[in-house]
Amino acid sequence: MRTGARATLLVLWLLALAGLGWMVSQRLRVSTDLRSFMPAPTTPDQRLLMEQVGEGPGSRLLLLSIHGQSDERLAALSQGLAAALKNDRRYSQVLNGSFDLGALDAGLLPYRYLLSPTLDTQPLDQAYLADQLQQRLDDLSSPAASLLKGLLPRDPTLEVLKLAERWAPAKSPELREGVWFSPWGEALLLVQTVAAGFDPGAQQQAIDGIRRAFATLPGSAGATLELSGPGYFSVVAAAQTRHQADWIGRISTVGFIALLLLAYRSVGSLLLSALPIASAALAGIAALIVAFPAVHGITLAFGFTLLGVAQEYPIRVLSHRRAGEDAVASVRTLWPLLLTAIASACIAYLAFYASGVNGLKQLAVFTIVGLLVAGFSTRYLLPYLLPRRVRDVAAMRWLLRARTWVDRLPRPRWIPVVVAAAIVAMLALARGPFWQDNLAALTPLPPDLLQHDARLREALGAPDVRYLLVLEAPSAQGVLALSETLQPRVDALLARHAADALELPSRYLPSVAVQRERQAKLPDRATLQHALDEALQGLPFRADLFRPFVNDVQTARTLPPLTPERYAQTPLGQRLAAMLVERDGHWLGLGTVSGVHDVAALQALGADTHGAVRLLDLKAASESLVVDYRSRILQALAAAALLLVLTIALALRSLRRAWHVLAPMTLATFLVLAVERVAGVEISLFHLVALILAGGLGLHYALFFERDTGDAAEQRRTLHATIVCVLSALLVFGMLAWATIPVLRAIGLTVSLGVAFHFCLSILMAPHARQD
Amino acid sequence: MSLLLSLLPWASTSASEPAPAASASALVAALGQPAPAHTAFAEARFLQVLDRPLVVSGELSWLGGDRLQRRVEHPQQETATIADGEVTQQRDGRSPRHFSLKRAPQLQVLLDSFVALLSGDAARLQQAFEIRQSGDAGGAWTLTLVPRDARVAKTVASIRIDGYAKASRCMHLQEADGDLAVDLLGPLAARMPAAPTREALEALCQGAP
Repeated sequence: MRTGARATLLVLWLLALAGLGWMVSQRLRVSTDLRSFMPAPTTPDQRLLMEQVGEGPGSRLLLLSIHGQSDERLAALSQGLAAALKNDRRYSQVLNGSFDLGALDAGLLPYRYLLSPTLDTQPLDQAYLADQLQQRLDDLSSPAASLLKGLLPRDPTLEVLKLAERWAPAKSPELREGVWFSPWGEALLLVQTVAAGFDPGAQQQAIDGIRRAFATLPGSAGATLELSGPGYFSVVAAAQTRHQADWIGRISTVGFIALLLLAYRSVGSLLLSALPIASAALAGIAALIVAFPAVHGITLAFGFTLLGVAQEYPIRVLSHRRAGEDAVASVRTLWPLLLTAIASACIAYLAFYASGVNGLKQLAVFTIVGLLVAGFSTRYLLPYLLPRRVRDVAAMRWLLRARTWVDRLPRPRWIPVVVAAAIVAMLALARGPFWQDNLAALTPLPPDLLQHDARLREALGAPDVRYLLVLEAPSAQGVLALSETLQPRVDALLARHAADALELPSRYLPSVAVQRERQAKLPDRATLQHALDEALQGLPFRADLFRPFVNDVQTARTLPPLTPERYAQTPLGQRLAAMLVERDGHWLGLGTVSGVHDVAALQALGADTHGAVRLLDLKAASESLVVDYRSRILQALAAAALLLVLTIALALRSLRRAWHVLAPMTLATFLVLAVERVAGVEISLFHLVALILAGGLGLHYALFFERDTGDAAEQRRTLHATIVCVLSALLVFGMLAWATIPVLRAIGLTVSLGVAFHFCLSILMAPHARQD
Repeated sequence: MSLLLSLLPWASTSASEPAPAASASALVAALGQPAPAHTAFAEARFLQVLDRPLVVSGELSWLGGDRLQRRVEHPQQETATIADGEVTQQRDGRSPRHFSLKRAPQLQVLLDSFVALLSGDAARLQQAFEIRQSGDAGGAWTLTLVPRDARVAKTVASIRIDGYAKASRCMHLQEADGDLAVDLLGPLAARMPAAPTREALEALCQGAP
């Protein structure tokens, strides 16, 4: 190809890349919701789990602690922070232990008689009023007088306080200076966010809002605000994963460039060989933009890692060039094998698509499109650009020695048998469960963070994230009524310490029926006035003092009952909204449970309700989800393996040759599994994914080593290419193995081990070496 | 809040010689006492929500530091304790009620000032209040405290303490909304009328010991 044509091709290629890049930068929407990386739910419980994981009342709760100052200062900070957050739309509930008359909106004040259970047992008659008024008189002579004086004319029976007590968490921490304190001297707050718990982007905003509000409080400089809770964890996890992936990526990139420079000693070749990879990445993202509404951040992070396989294609081309031969000619001889490699890697990655997990589907689309683009641009574009004059690697002296050494290695036929026996023995010897089904085990959270969370949760009596009592009914009112009928049994259970607390939705809003019953018990103006006048006999209260009370009771008699919709406008309505959700025309009530001691007793609550009431174990649901997920991946893997055998056999047109490619690959894959099991690693989904990846790489090695050219120089080139590939894979995935995040480590360790085993076994089991 | 005020230094029968008419600081310094200390009290509250005053009586104790206790014996048993920034109220047959001093900032300031008075710490008292003092040659004196904090002044207009020699005899807490609490301390507590009026109490406090 002439120089002018080469320049034109290069410019066109670069222009195409720039165009793709521009399109990607304009249209790429990165989502951060971690749930798209979880398996798709199939059972109702699993579906509820997926919703609850993100949006349940428990997962939207942030636990706050403030420490590092005197109790008095901390209490002031707690009050200041609560006041600042209370009117912020991002938070549906802020609790710090201080009793709050403002919990009920001023406009809803007359509703107190419909919301409070007082009227269920106690009519507003003369005897009750007389007793209450006498108590208020005592209150007026006590230090609490100044607190109650304002409330007295409107609410002599203190219904507002009863409601405040009812809505306070069941198990409250110690009160100091009027706010919650932990036994370790931290002021405690509970904040419920409007944002879903597993949406790190939205949670980040909510957390930033809290930190900003805290920072503007006077005296906050000397105190430390700490957060905990699922939302905070998702932010930490996202930041950690990004941080680690970033620094690992940087180091790997530098190492990778250094390796290639060392291997080919040509900056030009290096830069040009980056073009297929850049094209692959951009084309992959573009395909995602077309196929999915939003691209997940993790897809991109993992996707770029997996595209490392595609770097093999230009490496093979560079290593297999002969002195004086046209690059196009070199590629042409290499292409059938390269095509087989590309096709088999694509088949392996198809298994991701079959997993049914949105994030993994995206990963499959990204990598398959990327591999195809990288492969075909390596075949049809790159060779025309490569410099004509190259150094034939086959002439390198160290390579000659290495090839000789490799050729002299003993290759007994019993190697596969011994390796297979070792695999079986190791798998048999391994202790502990084979599979890791606990999704939480993969959550990259430092143990001290979890301990801090457990400590705060214990101190605050915050609901368990594991159990939920699910109440199901055709309507919201049905759920509330069910919740009310369940309340006495729940109270009995709590009295028996089956759990520390169980909050039902009707705690925040009684059903319309109950509200109407209470309404019917409210006396009319004349009756109430008469009872009040009688009760006031002999008491020093001013005669007309309680007119606002009488008026409120009259208002309450004619109020339309409070519904969840109307209630939703208020802060407490937000709290209720989290416990009362509509799904598929059905309504679900979610009772939050804390401190579970007797799971069986809680499960028995739903015994004869035909599923209307049931205890949802989110951990069990998530584990069943993982088991489903795994069996789907294993099926997909089996199908992929079958396809692979067919592809290889067809491509090589020989079952015997296919055996020489597939046997080392299969053995190496199981060897990785066996070694990890013996080392005590429980196999998670991510290990499986990584095994597929390593298998794809190993297939390349086996394919190229199996190729019988009968040409010693070509064999040296194959060895050179494979060594460069193995080193670059070890560099990228070996770095990942150092990550502290279990997911990254699982992938890094598995692929590194895999690459090493695949390399060794494909050399030792290569057929032609034995024939020499 | 009269709980705090009524815990001011109380009459001791031995304090008979007239106090030197010195500055307010000297008077406050002279009022200082060691903890713990106990005294009888009788309180009349004139509240707008009531037709006639509320009268209670019992014993006040300063337990040292910022810890105070007010035990009411008549007409009903009730104990209120301020400790660690929290007020705890206990009444027979009912579960205790807690609330924070922070909910009533005036209580907090009064507590601080009160401890300053008991320990004879004039500087601390002067931080929170503007202090006026008057007295006569016979040893009777009056301290008037006006809160400096505007937030507190919204609820507490002024505090007046009448005393004789090294002992306080009466406390008047004038609230901004017109409500008034008068506490008779020490031996004077026994002389609380069954149906007190503002004038009758005024006369008692100003009268000879």
